[in-house]
Amino acid sequence: MIPLTYYLACSMALYIIGFYCLVVKRNMIRLLIALEIMMNAASLNFIAFSTYGATGFTHPLAHAFTIISIGIGGCIVALGLAITLHAYRHYKTLDVRELRRLRR
Amino acid sequence: MFTTLLDALLFFTVTTPLMGLLTHKIGKREVVGVYSVLGFIVPLIFLLALYHKVLAEGVVVIMSGQSSLPPMGVCLEIDALSLFMVTIYLITGLMASIHSIRCMEYDTGLVGYYTALLSMVTGMVGVTLAGDLFTLFIFWEVMCISSYALVAFRKGRWEPVEAGYKYLIMSAAGSVTVLFAMSLLYGMAGTLNIAYLSVSLTQAEGGVWTYLTLTMIITGFGLQAGMAPLHTWLPDAHSAAPSPVSAVLSGAMVKAGAYSLIRTLIIIFAPMQTEWRVILAIFAVLTMFTGNLMALLQDDIKRLLAFSTIANMGYILMGLATQSLQGLTGCLFQILNHALSKVLLFLCVGSLVHQAKTRSLKELAGIWRTMPVTGTFFAVGAIAMAGIPPLNVFWSELAIILAGLEAGMLLFSALMVINMALSAAYCLRMIQIIVLKNATSTSKKATEAPLSMLIPPLMLTSLCIMIGFYPGPFQKMAEGAARAALDIQTYIYAVLQG
Repeated sequence: MIPLTYYLACSMALYIIGFYCLVVKRNMIRLLIALEIMMNAASLNFIAFSTYGATGFTHPLAHAFTIISIGIGGCIVALGLAITLHAYRHYKTLDVRELRRLRR
Repeated sequence: MFTTLLDALLFFTVTTPLMGLLTHKIGKREVVGVYSVLGFIVPLIFLLALYHKVLAEGVVVIMSGQSSLPPMGVCLEIDALSLFMVTIYLITGLMASIHSIRCMEYDTGLVGYYTALLSMVTGMVGVTLAGDLFTLFIFWEVMCISSYALVAFRKGRWEPVEAGYKYLIMSAAGSVTVLFAMSLLYGMAGTLNIAYLSVSLTQAEGGVWTYLTLTMIITGFGLQAGMAPLHTWLPDAHSAAPSPVSAVLSGAMVKAGAYSLIRTLIIIFAPMQTEWRVILAIFAVLTMFTGNLMALLQDDIKRLLAFSTIANMGYILMGLATQSLQGLTGCLFQILNHALSKVLLFLCVGSLVHQAKTRSLKELAGIWRTMPVTGTFFAVGAIAMAGIPPLNVFWSELAIILAGLEAGMLLFSALMVINMALSAAYCLRMIQIIVLKNATSTSKKATEAPLSMLIPPLMLTSLCIMIGFYPGPFQKMAEGAARAALDIQTYIYAVLQG
């Protein structure tokens, strides 16, 4: 069986990759994907912990939480894409650095 | 299913679109607005029943079912603090929805607007009643997702779209950070119930993972509460959203962030008090200075008020950082007072913007002459916000400063006094511009707001004045809530006993 530490390292790495994308990338859709990666990191953590918490027993709460949080992530991305679409109509670009008219 | 309170709110949230469909056939657009006003009044009645129950039992725990009891299952846990916050949310929502009926009359897609407004308040109420982090997170996302949609509601213009996108990315990143912290907490304790987490974490203090979790929780919830380095979404979202939505965002939603901080820090991270107190106090002072100094520079009136909200969140976090009964009382009293006066200000600004079609302070100068009633309400709200003695905000700020002195945070209290002077400066500047200056051509053309836009400010003004002159009973209410928040043992035993 793979040790729990590997899963933790993997989820930490996923979180950091997501955060890195969020800070560095310029494309509006990529930012939403970055959010989704960060959310998956948390989900992976939940699943790993639920399996390793007690031997021979899987905790159902974490699975329920993960399924619902995947749904929530879908909602956020759907709304984000809708806003992106409107932003594209106004700005004619998906570059997030162009969206800085508000900064005064 | 949940409590009658949440059930009623959910019922109205779900039935608003149906109501919209029915009224669309008749062709009366206002009915949906009236229905949503009803959707805030009915839960207020249920809240009263719940209040009596909590008064009798101390803490009410509602399990999801006999098959899944707390360490595994989910539950709602209601105490005086929850009810105190819920009252603020529902009053804010009610005022905003009454105001919306006329304020939003030129917009389309109102059914979606009222549904999102109701579901946002439902989310906040759910966050406040939640007894475990699972429930808290789901309602948290309900609140956040509706607020993204509301900020970007006027999607035909560039400003709400830009603000909405910025808000969505920042806030969702914050929520995900909180989710990650929750997964770590779950790994440490094997449960998500707040009471059980508190019991488990007393043994596991001081590890790297605990500190990481604490940092992530403060970051995620603090982002929603407008804490300083992460506040940049707040002025944009508040100024771009329709005015009633700004009122709910500023009066209730940032408070949901503060509530989550209060709940998780005091109960779950009790063993690490000394660490998070200092961190929080530093961030609080940073937040105050950012908010107040930026507010001095603004010309856009809604942006100015948004920065003032950031400053007030600084005061609230400062009250939490003292971690004493007196400090927390001040913090909660400030939450109440700030909600009332800021909602009053935003609704008045909503009327001004609705009548004069501009948000620039320069163009709104002297509008008191053509809109005397709204202008007067605005002036009362601004005087309250400035922290001038006979009105409400003064008492809570005083309580926070006194608590800070008592807790030995001399430097932080002194810095807060400087901030109060700064906030008085821009509030008085607003009054001077709106009331005393000569009318510009824009403000000469404006006419007094319709009656339904005057009723909510009237109620809020009278509440502000009443709390200002008789702070006693309201302060006692805040003290009861603070006592419930600090009484960790009762909170934990209520769940452990089943």
